[in-house]
Amino acid sequence: MADTVNNALDPQLDRRGFLKGCTMAAAALGLSDAMIPKLVEAAATAERPRVIWLHFQECTGCTESLLRSSHPDLARLLLDIISLDYHETVMAAAGHQAEQNLHDTVSKHPFILVVEGAIPTKDGGIYCKIAGKTAVDILAEVAPKASAIIAIGTCAAFGGVQAAAPNPTGAVGVQDLVSGKPIINIPGCPPNPVSFLGTILHYLTFKRLPALDHLNRPLFAYGRRIHDHCERRPHFDEGRFVEQFGDEFHKLGYCLYKVGCKGPETFSNCPAVRFNDVGVWPVSVGHGCTGCTEPNFWDTMTPFYERLPNVKIPGSGIIADADKVGKTILGATAAAVGIHAAVGIGKRLIKGKDQE
Amino acid sequence: MATYEKHHCWSVLLRLFHWMFALSIVFLVTTGFYINNPWTNTMIEGSLSFPMATMRYIHYVAAYTFSAAVAIRLFLYIFGNAQERIWDILPFTKRNLNNLKMTLLQYSYISDKHDERLGHNILAGLAYLFTFIAAVIMVLSGFFMLYPEASFWQGWGVMLFGNQQFARFLHHLLMWWFMIFAVIHLYLCIWNDANEPEGLISSIFTGAKFKHKA
Ligand code: HEM
Ligand code: HEM
Ligand code: SF4
Repeated sequence: MADTVNNALDPQLDRRGFLKGCTMAAAALGLSDAMIPKLVEAAATAERPRVIWLHFQECTGCTESLLRSSHPDLARLLLDIISLDYHETVMAAAGHQAEQNLHDTVSKHPFILVVEGAIPTKDGGIYCKIAGKTAVDILAEVAPKASAIIAIGTCAAFGGVQAAAPNPTGAVGVQDLVSGKPIINIPGCPPNPVSFLGTILHYLTFKRLPALDHLNRPLFAYGRRIHDHCERRPHFDEGRFVEQFGDEFHKLGYCLYKVGCKGPETFSNCPAVRFNDVGVWPVSVGHGCTGCTEPNFWDTMTPFYERLPNVKIPGSGIIADADKVGKTILGATAAAVGIHAAVGIGKRLIKGKDQE
Repeated sequence: MATYEKHHCWSVLLRLFHWMFALSIVFLVTTGFYINNPWTNTMIEGSLSFPMATMRYIHYVAAYTFSAAVAIRLFLYIFGNAQERIWDILPFTKRNLNNLKMTLLQYSYISDKHDERLGHNILAGLAYLFTFIAAVIMVLSGFFMLYPEASFWQGWGVMLFGNQQFARFLHHLLMWWFMIFAVIHLYLCIWNDANEPEGLISSIFTGAKFKHKA
C-alpha cells in the first residue's frame, strides 16, 4: 500500500483528507468504489507530473476557487499530486528566477500545461504581456512542448468575457490557437475544483485523458445537462414556476425557468457535485443557471433573467425581444394582406370582372 | 364559354406531405409558445397534470410528423413527378424567369395576364423552397435540443449553432416565419382560387387542376 502518511506527501494532509479527496474525484468520474484504491495508489506513488500554469486575460477566479475551496484537503491534495513548477499566483520565485524555472521545465522535462485566461490576438497581441512577451508568443513557445493542455475556466476554453461582443482585444481560447496537442477544456466561471482534480487523477491512474465531448470537455463532468439533474425539475414538468424573484413561488422553491434559468441549455455537473462543501449551487439558493460552461455564454445566455437573447438589428441600434420583432412583422404582413385584398376588390368594383 | 381539362398535378405523397406539414405546424407553434412561456403556471394545480411535460410531449410527436413530412418533400424534390421536382420551380430557365415576372406583375395588379402552368408558379415555388430550408433548420435545431447528449446531434449542433441556447434562439425566431408564411399562403391560395378558374384549393385535396383546353 502506498505511503499516504508522511513521506511523499504534505504532512498537513492527513490520511482521512487524502482518501476523502480521492473518493470525491472517483465519484465525480463515475468510477465504482472498487477503483478508489487504484486512484489512491496512483496519487500517492506515481511520479508527480510537472505542471506549468499560465495566466493570461483572466481574473484569477479559477485559481482562487481551486485554492480556497473551503475544504483545504482538496487544494492540498491537488498541490501534492502535481509538481507546480510555474504558477504566478502561488510560486515562491519571482522575476528572472521565475522565468528561469519556466524555461528549465519547458526545455528539459515533459509537463502538462494548464492555461487560465483568454489570449488576445488583436494588434499583435499587445493587450496581454508578461515579462515583455505577448500571451500569443508565450503560448506558442510553451504549448508545442506540452504533453497535454488543460484549459481551465471558460476564458481559456472559449474566450470568456473578454471575447464577448464586440471582443475589443480579439480574445480567443487555447483551442483556437493550438493544434496537434490533446486539449481538455474545463470551462465554468469558475469551474468546480473537483472536475479539475478528477481530470488529473484520471490521467495519473489510467495514463490517458478522460473521454471528451465535442467541445473537448470531459464527459464525466460535462456529459449531462444541468436541467436533467436539477432538484427543481419536478416543478418544471408539473408547471410550477417562479414569476419574479422574491415572489411567493420563489419562496416555495419552484423552477426558475421563467426568470431565465439556462439549465436546459447548459452542460455541467453542478447539481451533482455542488460547491463549497456545503452542498450548494446557484439553483439551490434560488438563482437560475447562467450557462457559464458554454461557448459564447456572455453573448447567447444574456439577458440572464430572460429565456432568450434579444434580437439586434445591425446598423439600426435596435435591440428588441424576439417575440416583439415577430409580432411586428406578422402584424405588418397581415396589414399588407388586407391592403392587397382591398386594392383587388376596389379594382374589380371599378373595372368589373374580366370575362372568361 | 371556355372549356377546361382536368389534369393530374399532385401525387398522393405530395398531398400527404402537405397535410402532415400544415397540421403538425399548428401543433408545433401552439406548444412552442407554451414551452417558451408556460403561462398556466399553477392555475391547473391539483388536477392530474404535467402541463409542461405534456406540451413538450405533444411538441415532439408533432415534430416527428413534421420531420417525416420534410423527408417526404426532400424525396419528391428529387424523385417526384414533373411538377414536384425542384427543377420545375428554380428560376433558371427563360420560361421560369418569365413566369416569375408575370406572377409579380399579376400580384401587384399591374397586369391581368396569368401565365398558365400546371405546377406552382415560380414565386410560390421559391417561397415553398425557402420554407423547406427553414423546416430543415427547425429539424436540425430541434433534434439538437431533443438529444443533446447524443454524439451525432451534438457534433452537428455544435458545428452549426455553437451552443444549445443559440439553437433555441434560432428555433424560436424561425417559428415566426412559419406563421408569416401561413398568413400569406392562405391569402394567396384564396386570391388565386377567386381569380383563376384552375381550382387551386381543391387541388391540394384531389391532386387535380383545371386548365384551359388547348
Ligand atoms: C415549424 C416547426 C417548429 C416550430 C414552430 C417549433 C417551435 C418551438 C418553440 C417556439 C419552442 C420554444 C423555444 C423557446 O422559446 O424556448 C420549441 C422548443 C423545442 N422544439 Fe420545436 N418547433 C418546431 C419543430 C421542431 C422539431 C422538428 C423538433 C425536433 C425534435 C423540435 C424540438 C424542440 C425541442 C426539443 C424544444 C425544446 C423544448 C425544451 O427543451 O423544453 N421542434 N419549438
Ligand atoms: C387550410 C389551410 C391550407 C390550405 C387550404 C392550403 C392549400 C394549399 C394549396 C392549394 C397548395 C398548392 C398551391 C400551389 O400550387 O402553389 C399548397 C401548397 C403548400 N402549402 Fe398549403 N394550405 C394550407 C395550409 C398550409 C400551412 C399551414 C402550411 C405551412 C405553414 C402550408 C404549406 C404549404 C407548402 C409548403 C406548400 C407547397 C407544397 C410543395 O412543396 O409543393 N399550407 N397549400
Ligand atoms: S431551475 Fe433551471 S435547471 Fe432546474 S428545472 Fe428549472 S429550468 Fe431546469
